[in-house]
Amino acid sequence: MITRMWLIETPDPRDDRTVTGLAGRPAPALAVDGVDPDTVSLGNLTERGCALLVFVSEECPTSALALRNLGPLCRRWEQAGLAVVAVFEDPLDVAIRVARKVGWTGRVASQEPPYETSHAYGLLAVPTTVLVDQAGVVAGTVVGWDQPAIAGLIEQAGKLLGAAALELPPPVEPLRKPGCSSKAALDPEVAAAISRPAAADEMEEMFERGWTDGLPVVPPTRERVGAMLGGADGSVSLGLVAPSMGEATLERVAACAVLAGCRPAYFPVVVAATKAMLDPAFNLHGQAVTTQPAGQLIVVNGPVRRAIGLNSGMGALGPGSRPNLTIGRAARLLVTLLGGAMPGTLDRATLGHMGKVGFCIAEDEETSPWEPLHVERGFDSGQSVVTLIGSDAPQNISDHRSRTPEDLAYILAWAAASAWSTNWWPLAEPSVFVICPEHAEMFRAAGWSKQRLRQFMFDAVRKPAGQLRRGETTPVVAAADPAAGIPKWVSPDAIILLVAGGEAGRYSAVLGPCTGMGAQIISREVESP
Amino acid sequence: MTTDNASRDYVSPFDERVRQPEPLAPRPPTVAGRTVALLDITKNRGAEFLDRIESELKQAGAVTFRSAKEIFSKPASPAVIDDIAARADLVVEALAD
Repeated sequence: MITRMWLIETPDPRDDRTVTGLAGRPAPALAVDGVDPDTVSLGNLTERGCALLVFVSEECPTSALALRNLGPLCRRWEQAGLAVVAVFEDPLDVAIRVARKVGWTGRVASQEPPYETSHAYGLLAVPTTVLVDQAGVVAGTVVGWDQPAIAGLIEQAGKLLGAAALELPPPVEPLRKPGCSSKAALDPEVAAAISRPAAADEMEEMFERGWTDGLPVVPPTRERVGAMLGGADGSVSLGLVAPSMGEATLERVAACAVLAGCRPAYFPVVVAATKAMLDPAFNLHGQAVTTQPAGQLIVVNGPVRRAIGLNSGMGALGPGSRPNLTIGRAARLLVTLLGGAMPGTLDRATLGHMGKVGFCIAEDEETSPWEPLHVERGFDSGQSVVTLIGSDAPQNISDHRSRTPEDLAYILAWAAASAWSTNWWPLAEPSVFVICPEHAEMFRAAGWSKQRLRQFMFDAVRKPAGQLRRGETTPVVAAADPAAGIPKWVSPDAIILLVAGGEAGRYSAVLGPCTGMGAQIISREVESP
Repeated sequence: MTTDNASRDYVSPFDERVRQPEPLAPRPPTVAGRTVALLDITKNRGAEFLDRIESELKQAGAVTFRSAKEIFSKPASPAVIDDIAARADLVVEALAD
């Protein structure tokens, strides 16, 4: 009976250890992380006035509702002296992503298990909104989404600041919505299981370590790296990888090959590509940091193509073939991780292109009517060779109607007229044409040599300088007589011809260049590392 | 380098050596009487920018000389760096486009 009497008595608010009992008490310190941790300390938040703490979590729909409704107002509140911070019960990268997605313009803080700050505030639910005055005392709290109550809290903040009335969150439906359990209020084991599924997940751990290009990777266990090395000495250095000059030991190259998903049989090709990229004449430094989209195209020739199953046929520039995709990706991971050229950090590409994830193609030497690329470049046809070319994304060239090699050559060549830029003539750097088998067959049937085709294409694409003077153009065009014919390329040698693709379909492609880098095309033989 | 993990042993793809940042050279209180190298990285219109800077520096009493990288997309050659280090007290590098 006595127990029942206690239950109906009004509890003493001083016994309330939940967030509602914080009113009038000093706000606990914020043990949280932020993009700039200084800006999410209580002292900094209340430096210019009051602070509004909005406790939220990613999984909670009511939190998202609160963030969406309050988010657009935060910047104006901040200007009026009310600093607003969303305190997530999630890792910082998750917090930043969610905040951006919902249009949150306030500050962002993150807390991870064991959610000390949520505990200190006696949080039971998210969202919970806490107003802290300039003296660091809690002036009011609202649990869950309660638009009228939160509007009241904002009005209270306005009075504390003595400023003009602050803009209130709009009274849109739902005006009230219960929140979700705070992770601090969960059983600790449940909280850990919910909040850090990644901790036990090897694939997620790779992301946490930053060992990725944005896609899942194969964890580079010592066993896998050892298998990739195949007995080679992992301490051997291939040189320094620009731009951050990480040393490319064979072991690290092997780690990148494992991360990319390569089989050990592909490793000699990855090593040869690495050696080619690290040749100073390739200017990987410039290519890796440029605002251009350039990627590093790897062309594979010789017996190794068939030995490891590289695709030079149907979909040769697209998905589907593990060796093509993983060899190209391994080379790019080397640049991104060991070279430090991660987009947004040292890689400053304005747009980039998907070939920067990985770009490895094989030439269909068996279908080609011509000598393959590596033979043109001085290697024996029996040698396996990789050739590295700084390259833009492929542009398709459809031609199903040409009935003469001249017409087809004209169509192919003019497709490159806008390579790099519409009026940037002549190009000193190479344009790579990937000629499909049906197109190649027309040249074979007509007895055209590679050199004849190249010369025809070079001669075909010319314009008077006077027609090339709008916008970005070259000093050559600027200085030329308006009637002078300007070719698209400085010489026929800037036209690279490869054969690849499915047996059906008259679609070839041209890959524009990486320009202004003084970057040479570099070939290296594929050898055992 | 191996990164130890409670349950797994991974090979890091990173070069984990920590590099010490180079300290900044002391800044002189004035450019008057100082020799200033004007390094053109050879990007479009960089020279125009340097012309203006050079004019301002000369008015402030500096002695100037021009230097240039072979190509903007590569680090300056050791010869260019050594020459500037030997002759100049200060250097202005122009990026443009």
